[in-house]
Formats: sequence, structure tokens, C-alpha cells
Amino acid sequence: MSTETLFEKAELRNSSVTAWKEQGKKVIGTVCCHVPEEILHAAGAMPYRLRATGVTDLSEGDTWMSTFTCSYARGTLQYLIDGTFDFMDGVVSSDGCLMAGRIFDNWKYVDGNAEKKEFYLKQIAAPRMYNENAVGYYHDYLEQLRTELGAYMGVEITDEKIRASVALYNETRRLIRELYDLSKSDAPVISGTERLKLILAASSMPKEEYNEMLKDFLAKAGSRPPISDYRARIMLVGSALDDPEYIKVIEDKGGLVVTDALCFGTRYLWEPVELEGEDVLTSIARSYLKRPVCPRMVDLHDEFADLIVKFCKDFQVDGIIYERVKYCEIWGGEGLYFDAHQGMKEAGVPLILLEREEIMTNVGQLAVRAEAFIEMIEK
Amino acid sequence: MADRNIEKVEYWRWEESRWQNPEITDWRGSLVTAGVDIGSTSTQAAIMADGKLYAYASIRTGSNSPSSAVDAMNWALAGTDLTPEDLRYTVGTGYGRVNVPFADSTVTEITCHAKGANYIYGPTVRTLLDMGGQDCKAIHCDENGAVTSFMMNDKCAAGTGRGMEVIANLLAVHVEDIGEMSFRIDAEPPPVSSICVIFAKTEATNLMRSGWSKEKVLAAYCHAMALRVARLLERNEMRLDFAITGGIAKNSGVVKRIERLIGAEALRTDYDAQIAGALGAALMGKALYEKKGGKPR
Repeated sequence: MSTETLFEKAELRNSSVTAWKEQGKKVIGTVCCHVPEEILHAAGAMPYRLRATGVTDLSEGDTWMSTFTCSYARGTLQYLIDGTFDFMDGVVSSDGCLMAGRIFDNWKYVDGNAEKKEFYLKQIAAPRMYNENAVGYYHDYLEQLRTELGAYMGVEITDEKIRASVALYNETRRLIRELYDLSKSDAPVISGTERLKLILAASSMPKEEYNEMLKDFLAKAGSRPPISDYRARIMLVGSALDDPEYIKVIEDKGGLVVTDALCFGTRYLWEPVELEGEDVLTSIARSYLKRPVCPRMVDLHDEFADLIVKFCKDFQVDGIIYERVKYCEIWGGEGLYFDAHQGMKEAGVPLILLEREEIMTNVGQLAVRAEAFIEMIEK
Repeated sequence: MADRNIEKVEYWRWEESRWQNPEITDWRGSLVTAGVDIGSTSTQAAIMADGKLYAYASIRTGSNSPSSAVDAMNWALAGTDLTPEDLRYTVGTGYGRVNVPFADSTVTEITCHAKGANYIYGPTVRTLLDMGGQDCKAIHCDENGAVTSFMMNDKCAAGTGRGMEVIANLLAVHVEDIGEMSFRIDAEPPPVSSICVIFAKTEATNLMRSGWSKEKVLAAYCHAMALRVARLLERNEMRLDFAITGGIAKNSGVVKRIERLIGAEALRTDYDAQIAGALGAALMGKALYEKKGGKPR
């Protein structure tokens, strides 16, 4: 299998989606990485994480959500309305952030035919804290999802099926961690641009197929040419980033993106779901909530910053680019928090805040800021 | 009907300039490097001999960046007996840095301005404000002129040199006179509410209609521009010494108001602060040439 074959899976309507639909199977879109894909998978659907990659027209998104909302959310809504995601059979959203939550609301409102087309629409609440009450609350929504989605799919989503899905997804997580391990060396065999494509592929195709393809990629990775002509090792943190072209601009200037703390990155599928003998959905709820995913988890800010510091060490990071989509609610003020965090202070890794929009119209401005930052931290 | 004979004056047009260091009479035996800064509005070429400024030229950026680079460099070379082949290493910088046809490499204007300011103002500069044609940057640097952090403004010409040129044309005031004129007022007026070039133009027109003098309008515009960059400086933390580069450094109407707002005086210089980018690029050229063992590229 060529690498190009795997990269093709990062396309919005890739060959795996087409093949899946040709078999008469259902694709369920998800919004935010707080929708446990395992439940959708156990129902026999293909979970597909909705995104706005490559969007160039926001006319529909702007109409329904106003330009004072994040362009990632508007772009995703745009694709839902303009037919780019016409292969979807449903959408499950969490209230991961207010903007993403509005993708669901607006689309449900705009697409009056949704019910006629027998869409499955569900919004679940994902608490912003990790404690036993929050786990119980989240669990109840997951139970609703199990019941309603099972009815829609015409199957019973049993514990056994969910356990099997968790095992499959934990394997994906293990392989993705291995993928990132490739970038720990002085001369990584994969760029950040390529790696994001592989993560996007993971979110856009059946995991069984993905796992096999990624295993094959990892087995052959040793023969890929090592990248040693970079000027600095960069970590990306910030808003949902689903566009490999953004990373390419940074890497074209010599900043090799070796790791990230992004929800289309390490924060998507990383920490394994632990089935600890308790109710399976409680275990899933617990595992999903205790992950330091992004600043939405209000009581996990320290853990999140600690994770960034750990990644900085593990991946020999020279500088952090904190990219924030304009009007991002979640990442609005995190820079101030990073400034105050003791671990971040001690690590002393330079950090720059760059504001961005989903549509890549400001490549020149990004390039000059990224290049100047690289010149600043270059050793 | 006969045409009225009206002289068309371009009030925005600042004076292009060239300078040559009279102290350098023979560059032979020196490492001659050059820097070309193609900004959105102006282009500078600086030539240095052993890290000492030898000559520079500052011209308006035309519609063609590569030819602006060539024109600036040719003018800087004129009067010296240097030929382009004598330039051992040339660095392109500025937004058009990739359009310098004869450059050996490129470095961003952020790095170059810090390096140039270190040369112009000395090693005590810690906060640098570069006010260019279409953006401004607050830069922190160390005693070697190396950047330690920076922050840039948003993505338009609001509150920058080009905005000032538009106001000059609107009010029929030569752009170089704005600073001094803006202090010929009885009391400081409130700033114009928007420094978006489009809205500020409308606002200035309305103020003139309502009876404000040109001086008062200019004061209000300079005030607004100063407020904007003062906020940028505050966001990036103010560290002394403080210096300003770029074309607006020559506009006392903005500089003095910035100083008032931030409570610190900017360092003064006899150099043309607009050449800091090109000068820094030439210094980077020297460093890169030496780092690469005397080989370009």
C-alpha cells in the first residue's frame, strides 16, 4: 500500500466512505471529540468526524451563524448545508464548545428535510468537569445515545459489542501513539503535515481498515527518508485544526511540527478507554471525561498544561505555536493561563499566539509570523 | 470649455533619499554585504562594509517588487565604485523578501528590524516598535539585537504609514509636515474613533465640514494611531530602552503621542530609522556569510 493511498483517506469524500456507502451502510457524523465513537461503531455505523477542511466558501455558514462565530464551525455547517457531506445518515454532536454546538442546532433548523431523509440527530451533553456527578450525567446521555441509535440502526447495542469496539479503538490509539513516536527522534521520518493527514484519515474511515493501513505504514516507516533539514521543532496547541495546509506553511519555513495538543491530533484518540469492571458506559464516560483534551475541561487545566510540558520534553520541542481560531470560545484566554503555569514557566519553551481563520486567506501573514518565530528559536 | 490649469500634487509622496558614508573611502579588503527591504510601501537597499553602514537608498515600492529591489540597489551602488558582483552576500527582507532577484537568502523583517535597531540605537534597546507601511510590530530584543518575542498588528493598513499617506492626500498636507502641524492646536482633541483607513477618511471629512482645522484633524488622527500602537506595546509588555523604526518614526506627531501614552521616551538617532530593516538584513548577510564559511547560500 502506498502512502498516497492512506493520504487519500484524509479527503472528505474518500474511497473508504464511497465503498462503505455502496454497501448500503450508514455514516454518522460527529461533532467534537467528546462523542464516544465506540458507541456508534458498536451500532454498525461508521463514525465520521465532521470538519471544514479546505472550505473556501462560507456563505451558508455566515448566513446562519454570523461572522462573529468561529470559522471552523461555520465551515462545517457550510459543508452540511451545501451537500459536501451528503453521504451522512445522521449527526451526533456534543456541546464540546458553544460554537460547535451551534453547528448541530443550525443544521437541524436549516435542513427541514432531515426528518424525511430519516436522519438520526442527537445532541449529548458532555460536562466540563471531571467528577463522579459529571461521569453519571454524561453516562445518562451515552445511555440515551445507545438506546436511540440502536433503534435507528435496528440493532441492539450490547455491552459486548461496545467492549469489542473499545478494543478496536484502543488499538487505533496505540497505533496513533506509535505514529507520534516517529517524531521523537532527531530526524523524524514524517512531517507534521503528513501526520495530520493520517489523523484526518482516522476520523474519516472505518477503524478496522485504518488500523491495518496504519500498521502497514508504521512497518515501512523506517524506509522513509529522515527529515533533518528543519530549523526548529514545533509543537502546535490551540483550536481545532483540520487543515494540513496550515501546518505546511509552517513547515515550508523550516518549523517541523513534531507534536501537538490538538483535537485533530494527539487529543483525538490517545489515552486508552479503560474498562474497569464497572458498567461499560460508565467506564467510557470516565475515560472520555478525565482526558486533558482542551481548556473546555475547567478542572483539568493543570493536567492539560502538564501534558504540554511533557510533550515538549518527549519531542524535544523548541517552540510552541498557539493557534487560535478567531472567536474561539474555548481557547480565548489560555495564553494568560500558560504564562502563569509553573511547569510551563520552568520549561521555558517560547510560545507565540497566532490567530487564524478556517479559510486560508492569510498565508502570507502566517508565513512571516511563523518564519520570524522560527528565526527567534532556531539554535 | 477650456480645462482649468490645476497642478496635481501628490501630498503623500515622501522624499526618496540616498546616503553614502563619507568616512568610508575604500571598501577594498572589506566584507561587503547588502540588505534589501521590500516593504508594502517603501523599499530600501543598504550596503555595509565590514558591518559598517556604507550606503543606502530608500525609494517607493512600485508595482513590481523585483524591479523596486533592483532600482533601490542600483541607486545605493551609484556613487560608490562597487558593482553588484562586489556584494558578497545579500539578504532580502520585508513582505517582498522573496522577490529580491539577487538575494542569497531571505530573513523576516522582524529579525532584521531588531538587528538594525541594535545598530542604529545601540545595544540597550529592549522594546522596538516598527511602524511600517501596512503593519506594525512590537518586538523585544536582547543586547545583540536578537528577537526574544514579538507581536504584530492585524491585517490591514489601519494606523500605519499608508493610512497616514491617505490622510495627507485627503487634507492636502504634505505627509512630511503632518507631525509638526498636528501640534499647532490649542488643546489635544479626542482621537478619531476609527483608524480604519476607510472610516477615518469619512470621519476626517465630516470633522472638516463641522469646522475643525486641518491641524486639529491631524492631531486627532495621530492621537488615534498612537493609541493603537500603545495598546500593541502594552500587550507585548514595555521594556526599556524603547525605540521606533519604520517610516512613522519620522512623524513626530505620532512618536510624541506614543511617548506620552506609554510614559517613556523613544531613543533618538541621526540615522534614517526607515532603513533599519535593510540595514539589519545586511548585518544578517554578514553573519550568514561568516557562518557558512565565506560561501553564499
